[in-house]
Amino acid sequence: MGNSISKTLGKLFGSREMKILMLGLDNAGKTTILYKLKLNRIKTSTPTVGFNVETVSYKNVKFNMWDVGGQERLRPLWRHYFPATTALIFVIDSSDTERLNEAKEELYSIISEKEMENVVLLVWANKQDLKNAMKPQEVSDFLQLSENLKNQLWCVIGSNALSGQGLLEGLSWISNNTSKK
Amino acid sequence: MSHGVYLGDAPVRRPGVSTNPLIRKIQRACKMTLPEPDIALNLDVADYINEKQGATAFDAASTIVKLINSRDTHTAVFALSLLDVLVKNCGYPVHLQISRKEFLNELVKRFPEHPPLRYSKVQRLILTAIEEWYQTICKHSPYKDDLTYIRDMRRLLKYKGYILPKIQAEDLAVMRPTDQLKTVSEIQKEQEIAQAAKLEELIRSGKPDDLREANKLMKVMAGFKEDNIVNAKQAINAELNKLKRKADLLNEMLNTSNDTELQNNETIEELYSALKTAQPKFQKIIEEEHEDDDLVQSLLKFNDAINQLIEKYSLLKTGNKEAAHQINLVTMSDIPAENQTGGALANEINLLDFGDDMGATSPSPTPNTAQPAAAANNANFDPLADLLGDMSISSTPAAPTPGSNMGGLNLGGISLDSTVPPLSDNASPEPAAVPSSSTTAAAADPFDLLSGFSSTSTPSAAPAASITSAPIATPSTGAPASTTSRVTVNESAKVKIDFQLSRESDSTVKVMAMFSNLSVNNIDEFVFSMAVPKSVSLRLEPQSGSTLQAFAKDGIHQNAWIDNATKQSMETKPLKVKWRATYKVNSNPVEETAIFQLPTL
Repeated sequence: MGNSISKTLGKLFGSREMKILMLGLDNAGKTTILYKLKLNRIKTSTPTVGFNVETVSYKNVKFNMWDVGGQERLRPLWRHYFPATTALIFVIDSSDTERLNEAKEELYSIISEKEMENVVLLVWANKQDLKNAMKPQEVSDFLQLSENLKNQLWCVIGSNALSGQGLLEGLSWISNNTSKK
Repeated sequence: MSHGVYLGDAPVRRPGVSTNPLIRKIQRACKMTLPEPDIALNLDVADYINEKQGATAFDAASTIVKLINSRDTHTAVFALSLLDVLVKNCGYPVHLQISRKEFLNELVKRFPEHPPLRYSKVQRLILTAIEEWYQTICKHSPYKDDLTYIRDMRRLLKYKGYILPKIQAEDLAVMRPTDQLKTVSEIQKEQEIAQAAKLEELIRSGKPDDLREANKLMKVMAGFKEDNIVNAKQAINAELNKLKRKADLLNEMLNTSNDTELQNNETIEELYSALKTAQPKFQKIIEEEHEDDDLVQSLLKFNDAINQLIEKYSLLKTGNKEAAHQINLVTMSDIPAENQTGGALANEINLLDFGDDMGATSPSPTPNTAQPAAAANNANFDPLADLLGDMSISSTPAAPTPGSNMGGLNLGGISLDSTVPPLSDNASPEPAAVPSSSTTAAAADPFDLLSGFSSTSTPSAAPAASITSAPIATPSTGAPASTTSRVTVNESAKVKIDFQLSRESDSTVKVMAMFSNLSVNNIDEFVFSMAVPKSVSLRLEPQSGSTLQAFAKDGIHQNAWIDNATKQSMETKPLKVKWRATYKVNSNPVEETAIFQLPTL
C-alpha cells in the first residue's frame, strides 16, 4: 500500500529509474567515475575484472549504473549487458591519444548493435585535468559522431573524475534527453 | 498526445501487433484461427531464438506464458505446443527460462489451490510438460543444477494433490542427451551459449546474489578460456573411448552372431549407425586439431578401423561370409587417444604428492570390474582401467567363442569375462601376441608384455594381478611364479628402465633398478627418483653411477627396498610407484616420468 502510494507520488513528481551502461577501454576511469558519483570519494581501484553496479540518485532520477570492465578480453562480454539499457555512457581517456582509434572502433561496434539503436549516447572525455588531454571538441571531432549517428541523440562532455567536473552535467543531460514515460 | 490523423515517422501497423519480430512470430504461431499447432511456424520461432540468442529466450518465454494463460483454450494449446518445440530445439537458454521461479509460478497461475475433479485440457498439458521436463532435462542436462525450480514446482504440485501423468518412453527419448562426437569448437560454442544465457539471466534478475554470481561467471568467461579448452579435449577423449568400445563390441558381435541374428539385431544396427555418424566428425576434429599429432594419428587409425568394420558389416549383411572373415581388424587398443592427456596430467602430479589417493582413484583391481565409460577424468588417471579395457579389447578378435559375446554386451564396461581363450578355430590362436603387437619389442621375457604397454608412455603400467589371474597371459608365458622377476618399467627412445624384483621377507620387496642406454649418445647426469604411496615406505641406496655410455646395458643400477608391502596388501591394492628420470643427452636436459604398477610378488 505504502509502496503504491510512493510509486504514484513518484510518478507525479517525475521520479523514474533507468539503466545506464558505462563502457570504455580499460583505464579510462569508469570505476573511478562510478564511485565519485556514488560516494563522492576517490576510490583507488584495480582494473575491474567483471563489473560494478551502483544506484545513483540525481534530481528524482534513479540511475542504475553498470560499470563493466574494459579489458580486451572482457569486451566480447559487453553485449550481455545491452538489454534494457536506456543510456550508454562511453568513457574515453582523453590523454591516451594512441588508443583513441581503438576506443572509436569499440564505440562504433557497440552502437551498431540492434539492441542499442534506441539508447542515448553520452561520451565522457575524461581526464581533462591532465595537460596533454584532448579537448572535448577535439574528441568529438575525432569520433565523427555527427556524420555517423543520424537517428541517435548523443553528446560529448569533458569530465574529470577526480574533481567531479562534468559528471553531474552528464547525468542531467541524460535525464533531460530520455523520454519521461 | 496526437490529434487528428497524420502520418508520423513510424511505419503504420495494425494495433496490437508488436514491432518486435520475435513477438510477431510467436503471435503468428499461436493465432487462434489456426486449425492446429503449426510446426513450421513453431520451428521458425526456435530458429529465430537460436540465431539471435541474447534476450530472445527470455522474451519468448514471457510472451508464451502470457498466451498460455489467455482465456482462449485454442491459443493456450498452441502456446504450449510452441513452448514444447522451443524446449526441444533451443537448448539451455530456453531451459534456463522455463526453470525461472517467476515463469513457473506464472505457468500454474490458473491452477486452483485444490486440484479440480477433472483437469482442463490446458491444465493437463501443463502438467504433462512439467513432468516431461522433470524426467528429461532435470535429470540429463549437464546444467541440471540451474534447473532445480522445475523439480520444486513438480514437488509442490504433487504435494497439493495434483496427479502428474505418466510420460511415454518414446516421448522422453526425444530429449535424451545425444552421445555424439563433437569437435572442440562445437563443445566450446555450446559452453559459450550456455554461459552467455546464464550471465544475461543473472544480470536481468539483478539480485545481489545473482550479481555476485554474474561477476564470477564473467571472470570464467573472460579469463579461463583455456580451462574450457581442456574440458573440451577431455570430453572428446571420453567420447572417442566410448566409440572405440562400441567399435570393438560391434566387431565382436559380427564375429560371433549367426545370420539370423545379424539380419535383425537392434544392437548391431545401433552400434553401426553410431560409428557411421561419428565418421564425418573425425575430419572436422582433424582439421581443427591438426597440430595435435597424437590425436590426429589415433583418429586416422581409428577411422581406418571403422571403415573396415563397416565393410565387414555390409559383406556379412549380403551374406558374403568368406570375404568378411578375410577382414582382420586392427584392434582399437592400438590407438591410444588418451595417452597424450594422460601423460601430461601425470607429469603435473608432483612426485612428492603421490600418495594413497592415487590408488583411491582407481577402482578395485579385480579383473572383472566393469569400468565406467564416461569417467573422463578418472580414465586419465586410471591406468588400470585403460589397460583392462585394452586387454579385453585386444583379445576380442581372437575370441569367437560362442556365448562369450554376451559378457561384453554392456556398453559401459567391457569385462575380462569376454577374454576366454579361443577354441582355436581362428587364424590367431595366441591371444598374447595381440597386445604386444602394438609395441616395440616382443621378446621371450614373460614380462615384456608389460614393457610393451609402458613404453607407449602412458602413465599406465601393467597390472600384474590380472596377468597372473587372467587367462590371457598363460598360453605364452607359463606360470610366472618365481620369486625374482625382471620387469621393464619404461623404454623410451634413449633409456630403458628395468626393475628386478624379489621378495626379501613377508613385508619387504627388494627392487633393483637397472638402466640401459639405447642411443648412440652418452647419457650424463642421470638421476632416478621414486615415490611410493604413504602406506608403504621406501629405502633407496645411491645409484652406482650417473653416466651411461652409448648402448650400455644395465650401465647403472640402484637398489631399493619397499617395506610394509605384504603380498596380501599388494593383491588387494596394487602397489604403484611413481618414478622420474632426468638426464642429459648432448647436454640437452631430458625428463621422463610415469607411474608404474608393481606386479604382485
